Amino acid sequence: MKSLIKCGVKLVDSPTNKESRHSWSLKQKLFFGLTPGQYFGQALRNPFNWILGIIFAIGLPLIAYRYLFGLGVVTHASNDYPWGLFLGFGLFAMVPLSASGFMLGTTVEIFGRHDFEPIERLALLNGLLGYFFAVVYLLVDLGQPWRLPYPMVVSFGPAAVLFLVAWHVATYLSVQVAEVSVAFFEWIGWLGGNRFVRRIAIGLTIAGIILSTLHQGALGALFNYAPGKVHPLWYSASFQWIHFFCSSIPAGLCMVIAVSTIVKKTMSWRCDRNFLDNLDRCTLGLAKGASLALITYLAIKLIGVAHDNEWGYLATGWGAWFMAEIGFGVILPIILFAYAIHHRKVGLARLGAFITVFGIVLNRLNTALITFNWQLYQEIPHVFEVLITITVFAIYIVVYRFILYRLPILYVWKEQPQEALAAEAVKTNTITTAPSPAGALYRRID
Amino acid sequence: MSGISRRRFLAASVAGCAATTLAGTKKALASGSFSGYPEGMGVLVDLTRCVGCRSCEAACNKEQQLPAPELPFDDKSVFDQTFHDGKQLRRPDENAYTVVNRYQPASSDQPVYRKVQCNHCSEPACLTSCFVNAYTKTKEGAVIYNSKVCVGCRNCMIACPFHIPGYSYSSAFDPVVKKCIFCHETRLKNGLPPACVEICPQEALTFGKRKELLKIGNNRIQTHPGRYVNRIYGEKELGGTSWMYLSPVPFSEVGFDPNPGNDPIINQVKDFLGTVPMVLAIWPAMFAGFHLLAKKHDGHEGHDQTADKTPGDEGDEQ
Amino acid sequence: MNAKLFGVTLIMAVSILATGSLSLAGDMPEQVSLDTMVKYFSGVKFDHAMHTELGEDCSRCHHHTTGTGTTDSRCVSCHADSDGVANVACRDCHVVDPFSAEHLNQKALSRYQFHIDKPGLKAVYHWNCVGCHETMSGPTGCQTCHTRTPDGDAFFHADASPVDTNWVKQLFDLK
Repeated sequence: MKSLIKCGVKLVDSPTNKESRHSWSLKQKLFFGLTPGQYFGQALRNPFNWILGIIFAIGLPLIAYRYLFGLGVVTHASNDYPWGLFLGFGLFAMVPLSASGFMLGTTVEIFGRHDFEPIERLALLNGLLGYFFAVVYLLVDLGQPWRLPYPMVVSFGPAAVLFLVAWHVATYLSVQVAEVSVAFFEWIGWLGGNRFVRRIAIGLTIAGIILSTLHQGALGALFNYAPGKVHPLWYSASFQWIHFFCSSIPAGLCMVIAVSTIVKKTMSWRCDRNFLDNLDRCTLGLAKGASLALITYLAIKLIGVAHDNEWGYLATGWGAWFMAEIGFGVILPIILFAYAIHHRKVGLARLGAFITVFGIVLNRLNTALITFNWQLYQEIPHVFEVLITITVFAIYIVVYRFILYRLPILYVWKEQPQEALAAEAVKTNTITTAPSPAGALYRRID
Repeated sequence: MSGISRRRFLAASVAGCAATTLAGTKKALASGSFSGYPEGMGVLVDLTRCVGCRSCEAACNKEQQLPAPELPFDDKSVFDQTFHDGKQLRRPDENAYTVVNRYQPASSDQPVYRKVQCNHCSEPACLTSCFVNAYTKTKEGAVIYNSKVCVGCRNCMIACPFHIPGYSYSSAFDPVVKKCIFCHETRLKNGLPPACVEICPQEALTFGKRKELLKIGNNRIQTHPGRYVNRIYGEKELGGTSWMYLSPVPFSEVGFDPNPGNDPIINQVKDFLGTVPMVLAIWPAMFAGFHLLAKKHDGHEGHDQTADKTPGDEGDEQ
Repeated sequence: MNAKLFGVTLIMAVSILATGSLSLAGDMPEQVSLDTMVKYFSGVKFDHAMHTELGEDCSRCHHHTTGTGTTDSRCVSCHADSDGVANVACRDCHVVDPFSAEHLNQKALSRYQFHIDKPGLKAVYHWNCVGCHETMSGPTGCQTCHTRTPDGDAFFHADASPVDTNWVKQLFDLK
């Protein structure tokens, strides 16, 4: 890509081609300014695409195999471990990693920290895609995925925690679609939709906070149904939902740091100055938030152990594993973040973020799979289960990249001059009334 | 999702929140004191009487029209089968709603046979965990399941403290949960005992009203000193079960969790369910308040990126 | 008047004869057919005469009903010196279907709280026969007493063999 840009390729980042003065067609937008030849050429030259190709060549037939012959052929069909890797990783780990949407939404929209705006859209998209693919994992795992809407329309089990998760994830997914749709409306050129969404931005954000608090917690509360099955160190009768909710905060923040790091390394051509110049500052800001949340999380985890008087378990093998998880996944990142923030070492903060992401994933896998049925036996997922999980994650990466290449997530969409003028007019007209988010958008243009 | 108007889905999400609020409170109130229907039936399993003939397995297979077994039902070699490196004995699954296992307790020189099936809890974990309400505790005492609405999330299998529900993983297009339903459709609701009880040559299974079975169980313990441990497993455990056990040896020696607690599983979740309406009620005002407070100092005028890029600004974030 | 008196006398006489006859060894059945529940197993021809020679005490099987007293600690408080009763066959007290709705309801109405746990006929046959055979080294296998019927073979899936029908799954199972 870099060589193409050096050769003078103009990327789509505004409604019109500056040289020809013509609006970009949808096809041109889809190829983000490249000719089809250039587009497929760069795609084929990218070695990461070869890896993806191999994964899909193996994984897509396996997914078809799962749908044609049932879950039994790709999993161990365990009645003792009804939730395997699809939910253990796909749902329980993807959802906390996607808490970024509501975290940055809160920071920017509610607390008015508009200095985090350059990274807000990436966080919102990360949230949307994470949730969407958690649902995709769910569709792979459900016995009868075509009945997914049943808890909404056919039969209600409103006293069940999963009912709450289903409703909240569904509504929150809608909220996130609305939040991210701003970028899509800009790209497609429909400013009416854009203005409308911005008008309800505060409402959407608060809805996001409520829904996130509850379903992030509810995912933890799901394990309250299995008090004898989850190991006591990973189980807390009173605090399970708070543990899950609290740990989702560093998980979401660190996932944004992790993704932005990858973006900066692999697709900086798509980022504008605004993003690249602010990224280090934002990263350190997010790292501060994450380290505070991690310290809180560490504290309530220890309170959980103390509350149920589980100190004795720490001396067992499970206790060593518990301390390894906390030590590597929580305490080490706290130290890294502290050092990084104090010495303004962004690279170290990024390392801390990757470790935190790993630590949270490990925590969820520990709760759902590794320490589950600790008194019975250990289930090792079927190799096909692992391959399908990797394949769905690869699809997630492809979709993520597809959107980042095109929509104004990493760059600011440059409006047309006459619309900018109109915006100026709007700005002067509304100067006495409450400032609208739409006004904010237009001021970013110049 | 993205097709509908935002106003409509906002309305929908409010409705959803309202629904969960009401449901949450209703559950917390309703489930507080439920301990089974007074006239509910049950079965008392007397492990001192069971000889491991497996007739109950055969009767269940026939009554519930389950697939033919791999070994004949009078084949005793299944008692030697172990799974997962010898850590597990047979368990009920999609092909068998009940199994009999043999134990060699440390405190006895005789083997003890234990029949395993759904215990039909008074306040079942499977029922309370199901988000499509596929389970019903009938007034006769059975916990039955409606496969027509089951989505296949398998939360009931996570929740069941007895490891009972099995899933027909082998089915691609109609996988369902498979478990003992107390022969509810074919027998129980017609006043007949379940097939396993009827076939048992030893009357190891005593069928009757749950409250009568408790009397009978206590009577057996009293009139046969030394024969039983002084406990009817299922009388109080996990909120009480319709199927209960008498054992000649401590229950931990025959595969039971000796200390499952007397709370039904749903009690573990009530803390969280109770916070749901609180979050729904408090968060909007709280965060709207935060927003107003933040805006007063910051305001929309000062939020351009350029304005925020002052060096000193980074020190006091969060 | 005379007719009524005659009737009463006749009933009394018959009763005395009937109860008295129980104490006479000659009136005991030589053989009892235990075949009220035949379905998966054929009936048992129980050699009553042979077993009476082995057993020293009728109450071992018949509790207190034969009038020979009982030593069971749970029974003696009421039945230590009970008289014999007219019907002493197992099936006269132990019902074939102890868990029928009818029987359970009847039991619930009973004012006697002592026999709330009275087992059914099938159970007492097995308990008595197998229990004693175990101590006396008699036959204890199912088919040493009653052979299995073709229905019983089908019921127990006697022809089942571990043929694996999940070959598709096996083929792809890399475990």
